[in-house]
Amino acid sequence: MFKHLFKLIWNKRKQNFLFLSEILISFLVIFAVFSYLTYYYQNYRKPLGFEYEKVWSITYGNRQLPKDLDSLNTFYDNLTKSLKAMPQIEQVTYSGSNYPYSDSFMSTGLTHKGKKFNNVSDFRVSDDYQKVWNISLLEGRWFTPEDAVSKDRGVIINETLKTEMFGTQNAAGKFISDYNGANKLKVLGVIADVKMNGDFVPGNNAMFSRLDTGYLRWTNTALLKVRETADATFESKLYKLMATATNSSVEIQHVDEMRDARNKQTIIPMTIFIIIASFLIINVALGLFGVLWYNINKRKGEIGLRRAIGASGNAVSYQLVMESIILATMSLIVGCFFAIQFPLLNIYNVPASVYVISILISIVFIYALVFACSLYPGKQAAGIHPAIALHEE
Amino acid sequence: MLKNYFKIAIAVLKRRKFFTFISLFGISFTLTILMVATALTDKMISPDYPDFKRDRSLYVERMEFKNSKEGWMNSSNVSRYFLQHYVAKLNHLQMVAITSTSKASNAYVNNKKLVINYQYTNADYWNVLEYKFLEGKPFAQKQIDNAEMVAVITRETKEAYFGDAPSVVGKYISADNINYRVIGVVENVSETVRNFSGDMYLPYSIAKEDGNSTNLMGGYNAVLLAKSEDDLPKLRNEFAQMVKRLPIPTDFDKLYCNADPFFTSITRRLGGDATNEAVGKVISMAAGFLLLFLLLPTINLVNINITRIMERSSEIGVRKAFGASSKTLVYQFIVENMILTFLGGFIGIVLSLLVIFLINETNFVSNMRLSINLTVLCYSLLACVFFGLLSGVYPAWRMSKLNVVKALKA
Repeated sequence: MFKHLFKLIWNKRKQNFLFLSEILISFLVIFAVFSYLTYYYQNYRKPLGFEYEKVWSITYGNRQLPKDLDSLNTFYDNLTKSLKAMPQIEQVTYSGSNYPYSDSFMSTGLTHKGKKFNNVSDFRVSDDYQKVWNISLLEGRWFTPEDAVSKDRGVIINETLKTEMFGTQNAAGKFISDYNGANKLKVLGVIADVKMNGDFVPGNNAMFSRLDTGYLRWTNTALLKVRETADATFESKLYKLMATATNSSVEIQHVDEMRDARNKQTIIPMTIFIIIASFLIINVALGLFGVLWYNINKRKGEIGLRRAIGASGNAVSYQLVMESIILATMSLIVGCFFAIQFPLLNIYNVPASVYVISILISIVFIYALVFACSLYPGKQAAGIHPAIALHEE
Repeated sequence: MLKNYFKIAIAVLKRRKFFTFISLFGISFTLTILMVATALTDKMISPDYPDFKRDRSLYVERMEFKNSKEGWMNSSNVSRYFLQHYVAKLNHLQMVAITSTSKASNAYVNNKKLVINYQYTNADYWNVLEYKFLEGKPFAQKQIDNAEMVAVITRETKEAYFGDAPSVVGKYISADNINYRVIGVVENVSETVRNFSGDMYLPYSIAKEDGNSTNLMGGYNAVLLAKSEDDLPKLRNEFAQMVKRLPIPTDFDKLYCNADPFFTSITRRLGGDATNEAVGKVISMAAGFLLLFLLLPTINLVNINITRIMERSSEIGVRKAFGASSKTLVYQFIVENMILTFLGGFIGIVLSLLVIFLINETNFVSNMRLSINLTVLCYSLLACVFFGLLSGVYPAWRMSKLNVVKALKA
């Protein structure tokens, strides 16, 4: 049966060439779309790891702040006190400019047992950071004020980085070193992974260090956890307080709005991409349908002959659908050869599972498309009355 | 002759309505997407309010220090010091517009928060860029020297802050807890015109920053205006020579800073870096993407066209038997296909107008107003012709090789 079908297809290879190339290109387009979608969906499924709903960020200029460290420390202590004195504020913390959704990144390298880890997000945060975001600790502890005077610089790492460094062992209390191996860093705790750049972007390896006095000069971000009662009236009061205290320009942002903006950066291009791709696919589907329909109409004589000899209607439509499916298979084999290169060469550093899943989905999609497009013409062909078909010949 | 072709084409279109629909759907949608993309690109590239002097402007945005041994790199916008001490002294320069990167501040009006993006500018900024003043006037050098707290705001800011007050010049706007006196209101600027679209413009002398610093890097961008178009390459050259003589900070051994014509500044940002303009790279990437995007609809159309032409094999056979040359027939089918394509193109233009209307209505990009102008229409026409030829030639060629006897038999 298959051999026979192949022969039929081979005899019409010239006509089928365009059909094949069309399916091939469609497959590649769909593969691209599904790769994107799978990648974003996989990231979307990962837990967020923190709570952003009631967090506000305040960015202020730090050029007008006291220059010597003691008065700077005093300034920050007073600022924290006056902020916490407001009934609407639950927690206050300070951080480098790379807080969640801020679109600002800082990275560093680490070494552990001779192995280098590049591109580790580097967060400088003060003590109450964990309470503001409600990040869950997996082991060890968060920073305390006593860490300021301890001998080794303590750091907190996230779960992915811990697994890469220590595997299944506990990391708390162990030592790692910075990029060129000069300074030892003590791991104080491990936190769950946090997705800080939007719902569709994976969080990468992260390391948190305590804001030390040296870094305080560069600090320009305060993060607040506010209560339900925080409204615009309170916000303008808070604004005045910050502007007077820092004597510079101040910007207050609500983190939930920042999150929406970040997600939009992913969703909008994605939507445009999907709209264009679906238009292409509809176009292809209509085209395939038209071509198959025409081809089957042209073969009335052949079909009539088969019916006359005694083939059932179902056998005829089965043959025609099978022919299209075999054609699609030929294209898919070529298409898969190209698509499989992506996970093999690890292009774009995306997990291989993304590509494998999207190849599978694309294959199913193309088969469904071809099947749907050939079903109706096949049914029509099966309905041909042998006498009429042969009479036409 | 053409009239006949036209009649035949219309008759054929009416014959198989489903096929006609497929072809028209494919053509019109493809062209709609192309047209909207062209309109967007046109908005990005063509001179646009308030930046009309692009043909004699150079844009300075970023500076980069590099340590080639260690691989360190530091890149940022440029400083006012650099612009005033080095750039302003160039010989071929007529004026330089200086503007800071946009910063956000909050104002609170009737217990509602208003985010105002403001930038500091110099006095020549208003001479280089042609803002349309709805009322009042820009600040001059005198007001900058006196560090007066004055502000030029956009219409949008005026409406958000003052409601529908008829005139706001002389009133005070409080942002960042500082009161500025409004001296001018300008028409809104589309967000696509980077570096010039703010809500409020202030004299640079009131910026809270260290005015005596001699850093080359800072938070400013500049537009360099040459005296004439012919002077532009000279100015660019002079700028490059000046950059070579700049003092390089310790820890670094290379310094890059470019003054680019407008289009180059875009391509450099998209695909290049401090040493690579990437004009060719960006254009070829865009062209490659376009070709890939057109490939599917084209193959589809070719497929449909072949089936439609083969349906008419008896007609072809008769014409050939009466002595029509293959050339005439090919010509006829290409013309027919063109007619179909232009019909699709017309539908495409209607659809594009609809999409562009929607984009403008929803204010998809703040203050951006897309329009289908002559340029966009010309490009669409070109796309139509290209598309029609591409999808018509191969089927016509296939058809012209038909054997007369076989064709008549079918």
